[in-house]
Amino acid sequence: MKCKKCGGKAAINMRQHNMGLCKDDFLQWLPEQTQKFIEKYKMFTPDEKILVAVSGGKDSLALWDILRILGYQADGLYIALGIDEGFSYSAESQRLTEKFANEHDLNLHVVNIAADYGTDLPMLAKKTKRGRDKPCSTCGLVKRHEMNRLARDFGYDVLATGHNLDDEAATLFSNTLQWNGDYLIRQHPVLPSKDGLARKVKPLFHFYEREMAAYALLRGIEYIYDECPFAEGSTSTQYKELLNQLENQHPGAKMHFFVKFLTAKKKGLFAEPTTEIVPELHICPTCGQPTSAQENCSFCRMMKKSSEW
Amino acid sequence: MKYTTTIILRDKKYEVKAGSTLLSALNKLEILPESIICVRDGELITEDTILKDGETIKLVSVISGG
Repeated sequence: MKCKKCGGKAAINMRQHNMGLCKDDFLQWLPEQTQKFIEKYKMFTPDEKILVAVSGGKDSLALWDILRILGYQADGLYIALGIDEGFSYSAESQRLTEKFANEHDLNLHVVNIAADYGTDLPMLAKKTKRGRDKPCSTCGLVKRHEMNRLARDFGYDVLATGHNLDDEAATLFSNTLQWNGDYLIRQHPVLPSKDGLARKVKPLFHFYEREMAAYALLRGIEYIYDECPFAEGSTSTQYKELLNQLENQHPGAKMHFFVKFLTAKKKGLFAEPTTEIVPELHICPTCGQPTSAQENCSFCRMMKKSSEW
Repeated sequence: MKYTTTIILRDKKYEVKAGSTLLSALNKLEILPESIICVRDGELITEDTILKDGETIKLVSVISGG
């Protein structure tokens, strides 16, 4: 297959775009497209300070690399969750994140959950109702809380995550299967800041997971290849596999599913959020972060339960 | 004489017939092209690549969770 731009040998075939690109053109195309979507969705400007949530995986490291190349002020945040499961998953993820930061002279914040809160994610998942049989839910809560805390404490304008189109399509698929109206209304590449919650953006939302893996490999980014041991066999992974089967038969199906959802929202095909769906936010008396609860936020309630266990 | 290409995905190794396309081999192995990146001698290759006798293709799984 030939590169659509230069006619050389293609390194990747993107069937949804009916386009193959060689290494050099792909490595130029992907950051250019990212910049296009940053501007189109008004995610952030060059004057703003960005905090990139970095896990040591291909997507978040690639995002940090792209923002660096595009000239944005992007610092990293790594949250050490203490997941070991026999192969030092968290320790290796942290090592690769720190290696990337050092190689490119980037500023990295490291939050260690065990050091800061006296317990790690596997223990939290075991001790709390939320985490029983589903540590991913506990992990999501911890990450959201800590990302927002760091963004607030260090004065970042925006939080950026490495969610790709496969992540977004799998989430949309899940929320559609359950007709989860409040989640469907909130799903978007940009969530504006509100009442103490930092603005959240997903600059890679338009790229397939396969393209992000190709970018990381072609750029020589060393990332953690193993899946999180707690995510093995997860529903989101199953949905990604299902969508890939569809994509194999109908190139572009994943992209259309998510992008046309965004278009439908823009056209007003979904009701505007009501006060019932978007509850009023209060300040958590323990951590000072916004919460829909009248008492402590979910994170602080979970930590309290864990300490009483 | 049997002409074969080795395909590696994680800890699994497959022997496939050389001379056909990589896509044809992936279809026979029931591996979705959407879920992997194909690497030969450190370089990314597309699925229309003709497999050569004695060479090794490494498949990199792209799906991640968590």
